[in-house]
Amino acid sequence: MVEKAQARAESENPIRIMPRSTRSTEGNKTGSWRYLRPRYEEKTAPCSAACPAGEDIGKVEMLTSQGLFKEAWETILRENPFPGVCGRVCFHPCEGSCNRGEFDDPIAIRAVERFLADTAERYDLKPLLERLPARPEKIAVAGAGPSGLAAAWFLTQLGYACDVFEASPEAGGILRWGIPLYRLPLAALQHEIARIEAQGVRIHTGRPVTPGFLRDLETSYSAVYLACGHGRTTALRVPGEELDGVGDGLAFLERIRRGETPDVRGMSVIIGGGNTAVDVARSIVRLGGEALILYRRRRKDMPAFGDEVQMALEEGVKLEELVAPERIEKDGGRIRITLRHMRIAGEEGGRGRIEPDGDRTSRVVAERLFKATGAEAGEAWYNPPPAGKGTVALSHCALSLREGRPALARGGDLTNGIKSVAHAIASGKQAAIALDTLFREGADSILSRLEACTVGVGPSLSMEIHMGGERRLRNRHVVVYGEINTDYFRYAPRMTQPRLVRAERARSFAEIDLRVSGNIAMREAERCFNCGLCDQCDNCHLFCPDLAVLRGKEGLGRSINYDYCKGCGLCVVECPRNAMTLEEEDR
Amino acid sequence: MKRVLEGSQAVAEAVRLARVQVVSAYPITPQTHIVEFLSEYCASGTMNARFLRVESEHSCMAALIGAQSAGVRTFTATSGQGLALMHELLHWAAGARLPIVMAEVNRALAPGWNIWVDQTDSLAQRDTGWIQFYCEDGQEVIDTTLQAYRLAESVALPAMVVLDAFFLSHTYEPVDVPEQEEADRFLPPYEARFQLDTAAPCSFGPLVPPAVYMEMRHDIAKAMETALSRFPGIENEYAAVFGRRYGVVEAIRCEDAEIVFVTSGTVTSTARSLLENLRSRGERLGILKIRLFRPFPVEAVRRALGGAAKVAVIDRNFSFGASGIFAQEVRAALCNAPGHPPVFGFVAGIGGRDVTPELLEEIYWKTKNSDAPEKESVWIGLQEV
Repeated sequence: MVEKAQARAESENPIRIMPRSTRSTEGNKTGSWRYLRPRYEEKTAPCSAACPAGEDIGKVEMLTSQGLFKEAWETILRENPFPGVCGRVCFHPCEGSCNRGEFDDPIAIRAVERFLADTAERYDLKPLLERLPARPEKIAVAGAGPSGLAAAWFLTQLGYACDVFEASPEAGGILRWGIPLYRLPLAALQHEIARIEAQGVRIHTGRPVTPGFLRDLETSYSAVYLACGHGRTTALRVPGEELDGVGDGLAFLERIRRGETPDVRGMSVIIGGGNTAVDVARSIVRLGGEALILYRRRRKDMPAFGDEVQMALEEGVKLEELVAPERIEKDGGRIRITLRHMRIAGEEGGRGRIEPDGDRTSRVVAERLFKATGAEAGEAWYNPPPAGKGTVALSHCALSLREGRPALARGGDLTNGIKSVAHAIASGKQAAIALDTLFREGADSILSRLEACTVGVGPSLSMEIHMGGERRLRNRHVVVYGEINTDYFRYAPRMTQPRLVRAERARSFAEIDLRVSGNIAMREAERCFNCGLCDQCDNCHLFCPDLAVLRGKEGLGRSINYDYCKGCGLCVVECPRNAMTLEEEDR
Repeated sequence: MKRVLEGSQAVAEAVRLARVQVVSAYPITPQTHIVEFLSEYCASGTMNARFLRVESEHSCMAALIGAQSAGVRTFTATSGQGLALMHELLHWAAGARLPIVMAEVNRALAPGWNIWVDQTDSLAQRDTGWIQFYCEDGQEVIDTTLQAYRLAESVALPAMVVLDAFFLSHTYEPVDVPEQEEADRFLPPYEARFQLDTAAPCSFGPLVPPAVYMEMRHDIAKAMETALSRFPGIENEYAAVFGRRYGVVEAIRCEDAEIVFVTSGTVTSTARSLLENLRSRGERLGILKIRLFRPFPVEAVRRALGGAAKVAVIDRNFSFGASGIFAQEVRAALCNAPGHPPVFGFVAGIGGRDVTPELLEEIYWKTKNSDAPEKESVWIGLQEV
């Protein structure tokens, strides 16, 4: 019956014409219709531009989300030799600039960095990094803190032999002596320093740099990088601060890090609002004492990390705001501090401007007092000379080029407005790029070279760009939230950092932030928009109506077949990450 | 086997019996239970078919065009706004000669939103090249759907089985559901005349120049003629298996009728009861139920109406600026027949309003008491506003 019906249908009702084409449509080169031209062009993620060390964070998160932990860790190391340190103590401006923050919550970038460092430590990973051929110049570095070690690390990768001279018996600087163990365990630091030494950096401890020693160095090295830090606590400029019982906050932390257990019975008063003040107070609580922080502005104005202040208060540290010490006196065996009360008289530079609150004063009596209002260079000559006369002030360091003498660069706390580990690393990197350019191309090329290595609008710099890596191909445009196609992302809560319980942390120096597992880190990294970066999601390929998006060998890399691309721009619109650009066609 | 089925399920049962291989649908209002039943049949394995839930009726028809081009039997159901959204692709399906079958539940178009019966949605698609059947009850729905596949596939044109919202789609009636073997005997597996083949790639529907396009369209016109001439034979085959026959039109006591109502859909059943009533009072009413609307059965209409003194067309639809659409078609069919009766057009039951026996009787007396139509269509049952 089927055949019969079919045959009848054909005879009575033929379909005489059915337009079909067996030829490929490739003959029709629709690319000639195009007046807009899409192209792959990676851009700059805001996190990477906000990171003083210029870490390629979008790529780090992408690799982490793919489980490529070693590659992710190496990506950090190209820009920062201290992922284990910065993954713990960095003030993470990256997270503040994260576009995801406008969607739900920023990526926990610091926690992912810490996870990668932990993973590398756990499996004793050895990084495989690009390294330039050896150079004849030798470079001396004074100070084995984060800035000096970073400079030596980068200079070694650039082919220079580096010697680091450190006054203390151990390397690490502020990381070794100034940050309490509950924030930065010794092993984490030692692991990073060991890796820096394994790259070929020679660290000479117990070798303070004096003016005489500096002259000696200048005879045998082609350049010197001075990064001795701010090791001396700033004076309060208050009568009585020289009295017995008035101590130096940094020195106190250093005693603990040397292994001592200072007597902190009774009440200790700490003057200051930075991380050092909070570290001193929390250390006192851990040693069994009571701690009271006195700060002349409000809690929200404190330069210390908000999280740290919150935890300090939870652990029993007391805080009194809007008081400034006026006079320090002996009161029997104790210390009596007269406080002048302050009030807020407006806002300036993002924090309260203060003035005395009439004549109001009060007194506090304590067993001892610690000064923690800031620090300065241990020796005046460490400080850079004023700019001009052979000294160039760069964004993160000062470079002195003197006729007939080796170049002298200064960096770290000696030159940075913000005294952070990340900024110290940025100084080391900038000094390394500047010196490398000086030796290879001459002094005149330094500024243009630094400009070429800038991440986004700066001042962060990229060593990968300086060394000719793929990152140099990125557009410097910093991707904004409106350029992300959020249709392709779903809301997901930010990971919660697991921590020691309060009772536990108030009586030990054990690290507070606990390790996180690989799947938590991967899930967190997956939240990342990877702003401006191609993760080969293939939206362009799927949406192209002309099959003009080609995939490279083994599925890697995408390109556009301009013979057929009509320039409709769908690929650019559907790119979730702004890794493509649509431009007018040149005609 | 006799079962009590909702009209929607009668469609679904016919689709199951037709061994449809791809069902595509957009599941939101104005969709009906039809695809709800089918999705369950597909999920449970009662039907060996892919159910494609798409993002719009436009995509739905596009998906069926793709599936049917690949050589399988397909189905969808829609209504009202959904059908309107399909419009562009209705032309494509017919032009590509794809015998897709669709159940179209007549619902009024918005605004204001109205999900009740009104034929304007399907009649607005009368020029798309789709065969259209209008059904009166649940049994006719199941039988027509099976016949629609036979007819559509034999002339390579798509077909629409149209049923009234609620009065038919949501009404439970006893329905004789064929056995699968019987259905298979009537409806052989689908064999595409042109089909996508990955072994011999080709594209369908490329650019066609004026020198060829007109012939393609003429082929479709011819296929519609063939559908009209072939349908009685298909119905004979159907009757041979199932013993039921409806015709392209059904003329009810038209031989001696003075006035003939032209009806479609469920209004016909109401008219049947009025007919009994009026006949018992000596009035000579006849009914011409139009079942096949595209192709329009001109000859059958002329034959059935030729002897009447007056014709009253009851339209549950309206073409703004003209008249009821069935009335237009009937007038067009009659105008070249010498001595044809005058055609009175009445518009009733728009947007789901009841068409009661009383309303139909009003139409009867209006027709009987007028010498000539006062206008092309008279709206019946309007309220004072």
